[in-house]
Amino acid sequence: MIRTIPVLREVTEANSLLAEALRAGFVRQRVLVLNLIASPGAGKTSLLEQTIARLAGELRLAVIEGDPTSTLDAERIAAAGVPVVQINTGGGCHLEARMIQQALEQVQADAPGDGQGEETPLDVLVIENVGNLLCPTGWDLGEDAKVVVASLPEGSDKPLKYPMAFLTAQAVVINKIDLAPYLPAKPEELRQNALIINPNLQVFEVSCLTGEGLDDWIEWIRARLIQKRAALQSETHESATLSDVPLVDEAPDA
Amino acid sequence: MHEMPVTQAMLNMVLEQAGGRQVLKVRLRVGELSPVVPHSVAMFFDYLSRGTNAEGARLEFERAPLETTCPACGARQVHPVPHDLRPQIVLARALALGCPCGARALKLTGGSGFDLIDLEILQPGT
Repeated sequence: MIRTIPVLREVTEANSLLAEALRAGFVRQRVLVLNLIASPGAGKTSLLEQTIARLAGELRLAVIEGDPTSTLDAERIAAAGVPVVQINTGGGCHLEARMIQQALEQVQADAPGDGQGEETPLDVLVIENVGNLLCPTGWDLGEDAKVVVASLPEGSDKPLKYPMAFLTAQAVVINKIDLAPYLPAKPEELRQNALIINPNLQVFEVSCLTGEGLDDWIEWIRARLIQKRAALQSETHESATLSDVPLVDEAPDA
Repeated sequence: MHEMPVTQAMLNMVLEQAGGRQVLKVRLRVGELSPVVPHSVAMFFDYLSRGTNAEGARLEFERAPLETTCPACGARQVHPVPHDLRPQIVLARALALGCPCGARALKLTGGSGFDLIDLEILQPGT
């Protein structure tokens, strides 16, 4: 006898569920998590180096580096003085939540704590995804925001060809604007195309070579961290207020 | 490159549901925008299912259409993908056009997933 078993489940639900668990963990640790997505060569690692240089001593950063092979990028980040965990996907085209879960154990082992075991050892965790504008958009890593790095030499039509990356991102960093005088593509066109796909995007025009425009990007990271922690603070405060209501028999005598 | 682990995840789900019974057919739904390629899934399924109860099962693929929803008026639009256009381009055009009501920032509400719909199994006679 032939029987049909109805299922109707997302095949990648394991990734979605794990990503939600990671997200809850990041909330408990009060750490801001960014997922950097870009084509190979757009400047993800350069942006990270510049970001680290500007936030060193102010915020505690860590990086998870996703690459098909090699440790070249991780070596660059380590040289910048920040804890880094390398994930080699073995040729795979994107990172998945389970890879982040494994890498986190390493991040936590490496990050300097305060010895109390309670205080968060980190402020910002940046995940550098595999260089690819298609596949990484389909796998949630538990991040607070996806950030697309699009460099000017790639052309201004990237958002129109890879809309999913721009649609699912919260910010776009347009890199290599120092090359604008030599290129047919203009930063303004790239900005407009990104906003056509997603009007809610924050757009930054930067040069990781000259440093131009990076201050606004750094300020956005600070603001996102403050925003996340403020939201947590108000939640914690509310629950604290409720549990702080004294029991009647413990009320001090008038 | 990602079809092998995705196919393994699908196969695991199928075997778990089948509970030791022979699987004859598996129905799957692939979103127009899903990075999962059906013929690649079929190839890996043939390989990965060898020696399992799903060996030889037929895979049937349905397409989940690309659908957007307006954040302002709630209108849903289905965007057909012509054979000569990539789905990403169709999505880009739909987002650029926005909703007939004039609103922008459409939400993508269909066409990005990969779902196991159901499976046919051989129930031992009673």
